[in-house]
Amino acid sequence: MKNRKGYGHQGHLLSPVGSPLSDNESGAAAAAGGGGCGSSVGYCGGGGGESPAKEQDRFLPIANVSRIMKRSLPANAKISKEAKETVQECVSEFISFVTGEASDKCQREKRKTINGDDLLWAMTTLGFEAYVAPLKSYLNRYREAEGEKAAVLGGGARHGEGGGAADDAGPLAAGGGAGDGVDRAGHDDDAHVGLMMGASSVGFGSGGGAAPSYYAAASRKAYGAGEGSKVMEFEGEEENGGVQRGRGFASHLHGAVQW
Amino acid sequence: MEPNSSIPPPVMGAAVAYPPAAGAAYSAGPYAHAHAALGALYPPPPAPGPPSSHQGGAAAAQLQLFWAEQYREIEATTDFKNHNLPLARIKKIMKADEDVRMIAAEAPVVFARACEMFILELTHRGWAHAEENKRRTLQKSDIAAAVARTEVFDFLVDIVPRDEPRDADPAAAAMGAAAPGIPQHPAAADPTTMGYYYVQPQ
Repeated sequence: MKNRKGYGHQGHLLSPVGSPLSDNESGAAAAAGGGGCGSSVGYCGGGGGESPAKEQDRFLPIANVSRIMKRSLPANAKISKEAKETVQECVSEFISFVTGEASDKCQREKRKTINGDDLLWAMTTLGFEAYVAPLKSYLNRYREAEGEKAAVLGGGARHGEGGGAADDAGPLAAGGGAGDGVDRAGHDDDAHVGLMMGASSVGFGSGGGAAPSYYAAASRKAYGAGEGSKVMEFEGEEENGGVQRGRGFASHLHGAVQW
Repeated sequence: MEPNSSIPPPVMGAAVAYPPAAGAAYSAGPYAHAHAALGALYPPPPAPGPPSSHQGGAAAAQLQLFWAEQYREIEATTDFKNHNLPLARIKKIMKADEDVRMIAAEAPVVFARACEMFILELTHRGWAHAEENKRRTLQKSDIAAAVARTEVFDFLVDIVPRDEPRDADPAAAAMGAAAPGIPQHPAAADPTTMGYYYVQPQ
């Protein structure tokens, strides 16, 4: 039964869902290749970027997979490209395998949303019980962190901006981080929406080039240091105004910060 | 992780010290059932030879060290935004299944961690095969051998075919060696070690 289920999911993987904004994916690839920014890749991926090779979307990035593989090998060990690609495929199959089992359980229980506990149950059922204890500890700590965020809803903008600053490893990463921070002020309940909106911010930055993205990110962070209402106001301004207008406004704020 | 640690008690002590709450949930959680299930699936083998028991012991010690390290890393995690794997890509792979409707925000976070463990375990077992063949480069055939030797990886047999021209014989030999009644799961090969591993956190 397990093998049959795996085979079915493999069939599903052969037809990925496409989406627009291929430039984002290229930018994400460049950023990951240059600075190895895992978070940048994550944010850009949230926008649904699509490169010409659609098949790459059904695997995790080979750079991330390769980095993790190296952690379990001696320093002088080498990894062939074929081995990296094979593990890439195995990880996608692992995700589909566990997700399928969790999805079946949700359907039996007439629930629509797959949550963390469903995944842990599925891993136990499929023989990965050794993973469950560490993951349960991890999930509990994640939920505590999310609970803290919800508790300080009023200060969400400031906290989010801090996260943005932490992610500031380059123009693209900065844009994504800052965007995520701003959106979190208004969407504290759904972190994933924050991720996607952050990707949109990256898209805007890419359209205007590297420098405008940097200025916009810096200005936004400066605003975040102030009051939450101002952050929302700035976001509205950016959405309503044109590219040039937003850029000018951002540059002005940047000058103010320097002065 | 590579150097063998011949002092299991301190490793287990370290594992117990880090997540106290998780330890409590650990003992009360599904592990009791899992342990019973494992006992049913893997009956004790009839008097394995000294080399096998030694190798099993070494593998068990390495596994314990691995899980202790996982606990340590998880305790050190304070930022849930920076993952070693992109959450959006994980969500897209989950969504490839048409039956999957809605996914909670915590699900890709859990998977990011689980996939790390999966990659580490698969790579570690593959490296064991590379070392047996006196190689310093991990090859696709090493991953295939790890899949063939480990039962929980059976769902990957279609992904990693074993029809490599030169390595087919070693893989077949490995399968033949594993076939006669000896369980492939190293932790289950030694009931005493397995019991010790699971009971210690209580």
